[in-house]
Order: sequence, then structure tokens, then C-alpha cells
Amino acid sequence: MVATLLHFVPAQMWLITPEFILRLLAEGLLIGLIYSLMALGLTLIFSVLGIVSFSHGEFYMIGGYVVYLFLQKFQNSLPRALTGIGALLAAMLVTFAIGVVFERLFLQPMARGEVDRPNEYAILTTFGLAFFLQYLMLGLMGPFPKKARRFFDLPVFDAGLIQATKASLKIGNITLGAGRLIAGLIALLALLAMLYFMFKTWTGRALQATSQDRQAAAVVGINPMNMNTLAFGLGAMLAGLAGAVLVSVYSWVPWVGVIASSKSFVIIVLGGMGSIPGSLLGGLIIGVVESLGTGLFPDPVRAQAYRDVFGLVIFALVLLVKPTGLFGRKL
Amino acid sequence: MNTMRAYYDRYLPWALGIAFLFGLLVFPFYQRESPYWVYVGANALFYAILASSWALLAGYNGQFSFAHMAFMGLATYASGIVGREAGIWALNWSPALSIPFGVLVAGVVGLLIGYLCLRLRSTYLALFTIAFAEILRLVFKAEVDLTGGPNGLYLKTFNLPFLEGLTRYASTYAPMYYTMLAVFLFSLVVMYALVNSRYGIFFRAVREDEEAAAALGVHVVRVRILAFVVSSMIAGLAGAVFHHSPGIGIVVPDEMQIGRMSLVIAMAVIGGSNNLMAAAIGALFLHFALEWLQEIPMPDALMSWLQAHQATLEAWGFGLGEAGLKTNAWRMVAFGILLMVTLRFWRNGLVSPILERIMQARAKEEVARGRAAKAGKDLADVDKLVVDESPNEGGQ
Repeated sequence: MVATLLHFVPAQMWLITPEFILRLLAEGLLIGLIYSLMALGLTLIFSVLGIVSFSHGEFYMIGGYVVYLFLQKFQNSLPRALTGIGALLAAMLVTFAIGVVFERLFLQPMARGEVDRPNEYAILTTFGLAFFLQYLMLGLMGPFPKKARRFFDLPVFDAGLIQATKASLKIGNITLGAGRLIAGLIALLALLAMLYFMFKTWTGRALQATSQDRQAAAVVGINPMNMNTLAFGLGAMLAGLAGAVLVSVYSWVPWVGVIASSKSFVIIVLGGMGSIPGSLLGGLIIGVVESLGTGLFPDPVRAQAYRDVFGLVIFALVLLVKPTGLFGRKL
Repeated sequence: MNTMRAYYDRYLPWALGIAFLFGLLVFPFYQRESPYWVYVGANALFYAILASSWALLAGYNGQFSFAHMAFMGLATYASGIVGREAGIWALNWSPALSIPFGVLVAGVVGLLIGYLCLRLRSTYLALFTIAFAEILRLVFKAEVDLTGGPNGLYLKTFNLPFLEGLTRYASTYAPMYYTMLAVFLFSLVVMYALVNSRYGIFFRAVREDEEAAAALGVHVVRVRILAFVVSSMIAGLAGAVFHHSPGIGIVVPDEMQIGRMSLVIAMAVIGGSNNLMAAAIGALFLHFALEWLQEIPMPDALMSWLQAHQATLEAWGFGLGEAGLKTNAWRMVAFGILLMVTLRFWRNGLVSPILERIMQARAKEEVARGRAAKAGKDLADVDKLVVDESPNEGGQ
């Protein structure tokens, strides 16, 4: 009996200190910000086009590879910070362009009502794009993992409680890697910029109007078709940006997007399909749950393998118990 | 002449079907010099079963499941685990017992998942099944004690003495090929029996409009679950038999990944997911095409250009090493383009319209036969009626 109970007690019990929990929380929140960014793109696509893009993870993958290629080419000829910014911009531009072209060629006919059974068509055609992009990058980049160098450094300072070196930040006893920290900060900036765009600019409001009522939006002079293209392009761009900031944290292979896209599915369903606050909160929740779940899992050997399972279990539960999610509209 | 035309219409599908079956039967003898192609043939049959059972679920019933490969893997793992000689849960069952057990497990889990998914519409169902498939794959990968982890689970292969003799006349992989052919024909018979029964009509009615079907008295819950269970069990059967056959004997969790699933879906869609046979033929052809494309080298001009610029390309970060220079990945790129173009311009697939054209003649003939029977005419007049039914061809 006692032995059975002991089985559920974490094996690395001695490791679980407040600092450890705090570190897990902080790492979870940083990764959660990036998940939020990606999910925001997916939610934008869903709210305007009414489809779930199954190629979202592949835009994430492309974004990472563009940064990698950009750094390979320019890291010796340009100053460091400039290379980083250039790489991010290039990733955003490329993914936006692919998204726009794909939307014009394959999704516009659906929006115009030229396709039978549009739901199936949307699933299959975005799935086809994912298939195509994965193997295209496999052909171009080869199957071996690539990893980009960190493209920004932390400013070095020592302020007692908070100490920073180029590669890490130390708050009290908690050490955070610079790669994740910078990735999280860029994601936060991008999220704020995106929220500003969505709520304060004319185009952003037009996007929201289209997602609420296409006919009414058309009446007040918004072209819903152009909004479709813009939404898909922006959604792809956000996924690409998420990949771009993470390529220096994880090693990159052509199928890296599969797990990433399943995470964004988890988040938009958890937050409620098409809800912007839902995708932000959902991303943070999933990031923290994954981080804590992995850190506190009883068997450390299996913990890494189960990392992606925690989110998926939440996902299955939400779909079964409350398919509208936290802030969702009705199905 | 009219009589000739009517006979032609009546027997063309039969003739083509028999020729197709004959071709499948003699294939290992035709290829007895190259066991590799017989092995490819067995693989192609495996994919054909998966594609056609996916078509039953997605094309006929409109349930977009991405968990088909997961059910295949689940049945294989379940039968492999009870068939083990050592380790935990080792029961040492023979394949004759463990394969049906695995199929049963796939059916029971399919029942559960099908029941849970009842409320979910197309996109949500797709998302849920992706999550289920990934969870299953990751669990199989992580539970090393039970499943062998990423290195795979070794399975007891079955030996069929009456097929072993074939290896002398055909090739090493002939027993595996004929086992898969038997499973293929069996599953097609089961699925066609189901589709041609009243349940086949219920399937399509539920796909088109669930409320309307329910209003007309179709038990929607039962129909949706039935489709899910039958197609999962067929996928499970294909997987368990394929991996237990001599020449394989191992299953790895990565066979359940979404990439493999997308291959099955692409095959079914390019063949035509509204027709079981079209999906199966599409899968057979595409699998052979993919294997054949692997053999084709890159054009010399392109190859020499690539080799000349390899250093530059690699400095840019492109991974055009040994793996990149072959056409391995590029054939899949072409396959992806074919999938998207097929979806956009031929929603019913590429094989399905051809099959329908062939079957149409037969259907026309059956209508005429029915009318003739109603009118009390004898069958000699049927031929005339057949020609009258088709105004375009009537002048011949």
C-alpha cells in the first residue's frame, strides 16, 4: 500500500523548492507568450475566414528556416543586432507572402462559394499545403537538425538582486537563459503591436468587423475578400514570427511544425475559437501547464517524452466538456 | 450492333475487375526476379486498405478522422504486447489469437472515440482526432517497458505453410504479398457489403444533412458510430496483419505520425474519397509511383549544376548534402502539389470519375432491365432499351 502511494510521489522530490517552481513558472510564461503569438494568428484566421488552418505549424517552421538562412548569409557582414532585426523582418515577409499567395489561389474560390463541401475543402487544402511545405523544406534543407545562433545579447549589468550576463539573467536564485528570455520579450512586443493594430487602426477594426458580420462590413465599405487575404497573411506571419524567435532555442527540422501547430490548436480551442483574449490567456496557460507538468512529473525519464501530452490531454478534455472554450462564441 | 454495345456495357466492369484481380494475383510471379517490387506491392496493398477504409469514414460518412493511422498502430501494438514472450504483460499468444485481439481493441477504442466525437463537427473532429493520434503516439514512444519505446516493438511473425511454398516459385515476399491481398479483398467485400446495404444510404444521408436524416428516421448516433468502428477495425486489421507478416516483424511508434496519416489521406483524396475502389486504386498507383520515382535520378544537367554550386549553397545554409541531391524529398513535393491541384480542380479525385464512367454504362443497363421486367417484356428487348436510354449515343 505504502509502496503504491510512494509511486506517485515525485522521484526528484528534493529538487522541488520554491525557486524550482518559480523557474518553471517563469519559463512556462515565456514560452507561453510565444504560443500566444502563434495562436493569435490562428485565431485571426479562424475569426475572419471561418476555417482552421492546418498548415499553421509549417509557417512556423518556414519562419525559423528563413531566420537560419538569413543569419548564415549575413552574420559576418552586418552588425549583430541589425542581423537579428533583418532576420525577423525577412521571416515575417516570407511567411506573409506565402500566406497571401496561398489564400488567393486556393481559399478565395472557397470564399466565393465555388467549392462544394467547403468545410472539408478547407481542412484538406490547408493540410495539402502543410504536406507540400514540409517536403519542400526537407528537399531544400535536408533532414539534419539546424540551430541558429542567438541573435541578440542581453545587456550586461549587476544590480544586486538582478544580474545579467550576455547569455543569462539571474533574478535572486532563478536563472533564465537569454535565448528564451529574448524570444519571450520579442513575442510580447509583437503581441502588443498586434493588439494595437487590431483595436486602434482602421484596418484592424475592419478585420474585426468582417469577422463579426461579413455583409454588414461590406455595406460600410470593407472588402471582405481582401480582409480574408490580409487575415490569412497576417496569421501566417505571426506563426512565422513565433518560429523565427524560437529557432535559436530549439533545433530545427522540417517537421518541427507538427507539434507547434497541435499546440496552437490546443490553445485556440481552450481559449475559444476566434477569441483574441482567449488565445492570449490560453497560450500562457498551456505554457505554464507544460512547464510545471514536465518539471513535476514523477518519472524524470518519461517527463520529457510526455511534455507534449499534457497540452493534448487538456485539449481533448476541453473539446469533450466545453467545446466553446473559455471565451468562445457558440458553435 | 446494338446487342454488341449492350453486352459491352454490361460486361465491361466485370472484365476490367477480373483483369485487375488477375493482375494483382500474378504480380509476384511476374516480378519474381525482384523481391523488392513484391515488397512494394505488399506495402501498396497495406496503404490501399487504409485509404479505402478512410474513404468509408470520410467520403461516405463525412467524418474527418486523422486518427486512422493511430488505430492501425493501436491494433498492432495491442496484438504485439499480448503476443510477447517476455517482459510485463507477456502472454505469449500466437498471432492467430493476438491479431483478432488487436482488431477488437481497435474496435472498442473506436467505439469510445466515435461516441465521444458525436457532438463534434468536421473541423473539431479533425482537431480532436489529431490530438488523440498524437497522444497515443507519444505514449507508445514514452512507455519503453511496455512498447519498446522509439526503437519499436518486435512481433512474432506468422508462418503460413501453404503460402511458404510460393517463395520457391515467386519470391521471398510472396507470402506477405498474398496475405495482404487476402486482407485487401476481404476488407473491400466487407465495406462494399456495408455500403450497398441500407446503412450505406444512411451513411450518405448523415453526411449530407444530419438533421434531415434524423427527421426521416435514421438513427444518426448508431450510423456515425458504426462507420467509425468498422473503419477503425479494418485499419487495425491491416496494421496487425501487415506488421506480423514474415518480412516485417516490428512496429515503431513513428509509423503513427501525422505525416504517414497525411500520406493516406492524400492517396484517398487523389484517388477519390467518395468511392472505396477509387481510393484503393489511387493508393496502389500512388505508392508504386512514389517508389518508382525514388529510382529516377535527377537530370544530369541539374545534378552537375548542383554539384558545381554545392559549396555556395551550403554556405547559405541549404542542406543539399547526399540526401538533398536525390529525389527522395522532391517526389513528395510533387505529390503535395498534385494533392492541392486535385482538390482544387477535381474534387472527386482522379480515379473516381473514370470508375464512375465505366459503372455508369452498367447502371444504365440495370435501369433498363428493371423497366423491362416491370413492363413484362423479355430480356431480348432490353438491348434496345439500353440504347434508347442514351440519346447521345443512340445513333449508332
